Amino acid sequence: MVRGAIEFRDVTKVYGPTVAIGRFSHAFEPGRIHALMGKNGSGKSTLVKMLAGAIEPTLGELWVNGARVRFEGPRDAYAAGIVTVHQELSLVRSLSIGENIYLGRLPKKHVMGGTVVDWQRLNDDARALMADMGLDLDPRALVETLSVGQQQAVEIVKAMSFAPSILLLDEPTSALAAPEVAQLFNLIRRLRARGVTMIYITHRMNELFEIADTCVVLRDGHFVGATEMKDATSASIVEMMFGGVSMAKRPARRSVDRSRPILSVRNLQRDDVVHDVSFDLYRGEVLGFAGLLGSGRTEVLRAVFGADPHDGGAIVFDGETIERPTPKSMKKRGLGYTPENRKEVGLVQVLSSHDNLCLASIGRIARHGLIDRRLEQPFVDRQIRDLSIRVPDPMDPVSSLSGGNQQKIVIGNWLNTEPKVMFFDEPSRGIDVQAKQQIFEIMWQKAERGLSSIFVSSELEEVLEVADRIIVLYHGRVVAEVLPEETTLAELYKICMEGSP
Amino acid sequence: MSTAAMSRIGATSLKIYAMEVILLILVVFLIAFAPGFATLGNFLNVLRTVSMLGIIAFGMTAVIISGEIDLSIGATAGLAGCIVAFVCDGYMDMIGEVPAVLIGTIAALAIGFCTGVFTGKIRQWFNVPTFITTLALFTAIRGIANLVTGGFPMPSFPSWFYFFGAGNLFGVPFPVYVLAVVFVAMHFLMKYTSFGRAIYAVGGNAEAARLSGIDVSLTKTLALAITGALAALSGILLASQVGSGIGTMATGMELDVISATIIGGTSLFGGKGRIWGTLLGVLFLGCIANGMTLMNVSEYWQYVVRGGIILGAVLLNQILERIR
Repeated sequence: MVRGAIEFRDVTKVYGPTVAIGRFSHAFEPGRIHALMGKNGSGKSTLVKMLAGAIEPTLGELWVNGARVRFEGPRDAYAAGIVTVHQELSLVRSLSIGENIYLGRLPKKHVMGGTVVDWQRLNDDARALMADMGLDLDPRALVETLSVGQQQAVEIVKAMSFAPSILLLDEPTSALAAPEVAQLFNLIRRLRARGVTMIYITHRMNELFEIADTCVVLRDGHFVGATEMKDATSASIVEMMFGGVSMAKRPARRSVDRSRPILSVRNLQRDDVVHDVSFDLYRGEVLGFAGLLGSGRTEVLRAVFGADPHDGGAIVFDGETIERPTPKSMKKRGLGYTPENRKEVGLVQVLSSHDNLCLASIGRIARHGLIDRRLEQPFVDRQIRDLSIRVPDPMDPVSSLSGGNQQKIVIGNWLNTEPKVMFFDEPSRGIDVQAKQQIFEIMWQKAERGLSSIFVSSELEEVLEVADRIIVLYHGRVVAEVLPEETTLAELYKICMEGSP
Repeated sequence: MSTAAMSRIGATSLKIYAMEVILLILVVFLIAFAPGFATLGNFLNVLRTVSMLGIIAFGMTAVIISGEIDLSIGATAGLAGCIVAFVCDGYMDMIGEVPAVLIGTIAALAIGFCTGVFTGKIRQWFNVPTFITTLALFTAIRGIANLVTGGFPMPSFPSWFYFFGAGNLFGVPFPVYVLAVVFVAMHFLMKYTSFGRAIYAVGGNAEAARLSGIDVSLTKTLALAITGALAALSGILLASQVGSGIGTMATGMELDVISATIIGGTSLFGGKGRIWGTLLGVLFLGCIANGMTLMNVSEYWQYVVRGGIILGAVLLNQILERIR
């Protein structure tokens, strides 16, 4: 028996008429990190779900540790030594780290004939487990007090507490900033040193070269190829993923008229998170906000948009001084904001794509407060066409769409208000390369027609690619302003991490 | 068309029209087995009974879709009747019958509206769940209603006032007209106005709605205020029907109203529901109660059956949701 070996033999998964995975065969070598690549809807998640016991293959065989397995539920996968770390964190925020790690199997002790939780042992065990993985956190701390990166690490510690031989990582870095990613990678390398086999899903190309040993590429549910990372280039992987679609590059740099700003922010203050932030945004400009997670990027945008209150500073929008912005009043003035966590706050999941596309423009398209779906139809159709949103039926709930298409709905929702200024907060997170490119192209097109926007991304390559000008935030302060054509990725990383040019 | 496609369409329409089908089955059953059910007189009687319930339930549907709840509507209805009775009692001789009823009615509607505004504002300013605030109001308003009447029924209405609750117009009970008007108005409001769309958005995801520049608090407050006013309207009709303002009138009505709303498919989690569904829920409750009485089912068994129906309706909705 080989510990940690995984083999798919001619596996097919069919949902109704849709073939999610078609005759997939591949053997994953034990003790290595295997990246699973493919655009959204290529079948990566389906493959991982089969391994996790969440779904069963329609046809074909799954072999784990040299034996054929049939998983009827996640429990069976656990028993076979397979544990999954999901993209969305599954921790209970109001409980402590220790409780989360041992949730559902808290150690017990007997006191006076009754059974109670053995807190001492729980915390000691949790502390030892974390120390073992190079993590120095108090097991009694509540999860909600941790950074997203720390939470992700706790999630992995929890997974490792089951002592699995196979670990499935579904986009563990999608919410992390560079230094947190580095820490996570250290953790992952430790696990590899112990012989844990890992399957790693990501959309971040550069991570592959850093962490993965091999890369398996899927396209439309089919196995396209597998390659050793040392033999691969990002071009060769993209070629495999997309079948030779060329990546769009931004149009030639335009000159932006910087005589009169459309948005001026001076000495913006929000206690503890934003300190003395000043910047100008000009007509037709795409301004990039770079910085680590927690550097105040989102907080600045939310304060200007009025989603959060601020404690001081001046905001001048289109010549008008704004005292107390609210989302409602700023929308009326022509500002739009697509939030970073679209699933939670960007969309009303129970409503249809149609309704979500008309959410922000709800009063605009209506006549005297009356809604007319025929009146709305052109607005809906225009966004679906312009943003190439793939939506089978606009009246179906928006929750049925893929991540990239949901993100486009969020953007379309705001473009329907015909804004003068747009704040795009992490519009590219967790979506495939093609959808990303399309979203960037929309931003450039709109900029050509005079829309000013602020673009936030944790991926500095994207900020360099998309923005006309970049402001770097560090611990809630503006520490640098750079031009993308004069800055290398390494330099930008350095400023973001160290807080000085 | 393939059988698979047909069964899929069948399943989808079953999901959409499940409540209609069940109500139809119930009516057919009652026509067959409940003596006297299938008469025009009984039918109108059922409609009259459910009118008081339905008028409030349409408002409650909006409140629940917006992600809130209102437990105070029974008390508000009781208070409304008492206010009209109080004004008639004290001022009818002074200002005349019609002005007294008119002033009483306007005052009652305004107070109903204001209780909703109050609940909404408490929610907005102090983030107190509407469940708590309206639970407090449920108790307090009931007390106020009894204070207004002094604890005794107040049969002080002018003689023609009974018409609104107990009279017929062209052979149809007057409250049924009110029910119809409120139904059309609320259906229109929820389906064809931006306010209605905002209610769905706010209940489906309050933060997303806020970030889309929708005034969440105003939306919820208005839904609550409309429901408060409708509760008052229903209370006035009830008082008219029984001929006096009674402080304990409409006790427990909030539970019937919420039951009808839920049976009609509105989700307590917010964001989902239809006024039409609530109408079906109201009719369903009315037919069940009427049918069981006609079949001489004991009152205690009626409670048991209704409890089962509420749970069954929610289970059915959940199961249908899964089928899809």
